[in-house]
Amino acid sequence: MNSEERSSAAGTGPRARASAWGILVGPAFLGLAAWLHLGNPPAEIPRQEPMRVDTRRLTTEPRRKPSELHDGRPLIFVNSFLRHCSECHNFPLSEVQIRNRQQHGHIVLEHGINDACHNCHDLSNMDQLILRGGRSIPYADVPELCRTCHGPTFQDWQRGIHGRVNGYWDATRGEQHHLRCVECHDPHRPRHPAMDPLVPLPGPNTLRMGDPRWRAGESHEGPEEDPLRRVTVQSREEDR
Amino acid sequence: MSAQESGRDGVTRRSFLRGGLGAAGGLAAVAAAVSPLRELDTGDLTLERLLQKHYKEMTPEDKERVLERIRNEVQQRFEVRPELRDLPPLPGVEFAYALNLGRCIGCRRCVHACVRENNQSRDPEIQYIRVLELPRGSVDVERSEHHYDHLRVPSPDHYYMPVQCHQCENPPCVKVCPVEATWKEPDGVIVIDYDWCIGCRYCAAACPYFARRFNYAEPSVPKEELNPDMNYLSNRPRRKGVMEKCHFCLQRTRAGRMPACLEVCPVGARNFGNLLDPESQVAQILKTKQIFVLKQDAATLPRFFYYFDQDM
Repeated sequence: MNSEERSSAAGTGPRARASAWGILVGPAFLGLAAWLHLGNPPAEIPRQEPMRVDTRRLTTEPRRKPSELHDGRPLIFVNSFLRHCSECHNFPLSEVQIRNRQQHGHIVLEHGINDACHNCHDLSNMDQLILRGGRSIPYADVPELCRTCHGPTFQDWQRGIHGRVNGYWDATRGEQHHLRCVECHDPHRPRHPAMDPLVPLPGPNTLRMGDPRWRAGESHEGPEEDPLRRVTVQSREEDR
Repeated sequence: MSAQESGRDGVTRRSFLRGGLGAAGGLAAVAAAVSPLRELDTGDLTLERLLQKHYKEMTPEDKERVLERIRNEVQQRFEVRPELRDLPPLPGVEFAYALNLGRCIGCRRCVHACVRENNQSRDPEIQYIRVLELPRGSVDVERSEHHYDHLRVPSPDHYYMPVQCHQCENPPCVKVCPVEATWKEPDGVIVIDYDWCIGCRYCAAACPYFARRFNYAEPSVPKEELNPDMNYLSNRPRRKGVMEKCHFCLQRTRAGRMPACLEVCPVGARNFGNLLDPESQVAQILKTKQIFVLKQDAATLPRFFYYFDQDM
């Protein structure tokens, strides 16, 4: 009787329910704690083997090493001997010799309309270059020669905004190394040759970009299932 | 009768059980919550690191203590004693970057030079720079492709756009950080205190350039490839669960040097310098070239400028 009165005063329903919850919640927390403590296996992240990049391919050296200058004159290999140009070119070349170019067959001349040796090389002294005015200049001053046609580029280069500048951006703290024209461009073939790209990035970080064709849902067929790999295979085939 | 008894003691069997179970559950939960503390002396987490202050609140002595701690940690982990410094921003300097899209051939030398310089994780791979391959005649980055893998680049009818952190003047990533673990330095570079980051990744979601990278797993860097030239706010080794991104190679640029991505570029497409110096190369480019920024409509005011310039 007494207890009935008491419980009715406090409200039997909510109180009983609350105590039932109390009994349930305690073990639930215990279970959660145990799971966090013991269970909780680490997530398996599928990922490809990382690609290694050879340090030698990350060189900061100039891309070209123009032929060695000795006394300001170039030295080139002729029949496995190092020679100055003037050691062979000590006699004037005939028109026919120049036009047919029987020597120096490995030199590919792809420089636009500038398609003749003596536009740049001084025929009277092969150890020097020649400006369009007829003035002879040493090989070390090659930017002077290039500027005669590539004026705006030369201006940019002087300001440091054409071509790479290695070293220090702050010239007061250290040396700036401005690469010269021929340290990047082959004067006979000034366009940059194509290069092999270093490996792309696979993985969860970049999956959201993916292949545009695959993302647009245009095509789901391909040589391989993985959309990332498919791009690779297809683009390689296009290259061949 | 029984009610009278219980009233006398104030404890019924039910309330005793309830209380006991609740207390045990609570204790277990607390134990689980503080379980990382068990690692205190055994490994990764030290009490010092746990109690470390925010970078901006550290006194010089605090900083030196923290740097020493990190040096020891790195030595323990990589068996290399790093040259760890905390280079301050230079007065009168605001960094800016300019990139000539007419020159870039998409060879990814910059990407991997950056990985090497900034001790990014090799497994899983983390890279700050993404080189987008775009069809010629459009600047629609939605149609770009950055997993291209040709035998030779540049591929015909494409051009390449490297994207890295733009160090925005109005950075959305800084605004969303709930703990101020990332902020803009006086020289304009957005930095991250890797010891303060809680790994919520809000900043990565806020960045319109997808420039931020998260360490989802414990980063791994081969011991022999570790770059010992380190700076607190830039390329010191990170841990799992923190954000990282391009910081214009602060360990180099605050010492006056060029960033690593620039020095390796085989076509010289990259330019870096002090925006406030009118004679600097970057200032010359801004003056003489037709520059543009990526996603101008996002109003982030990047410090990273692109231009097309393929003169003969």
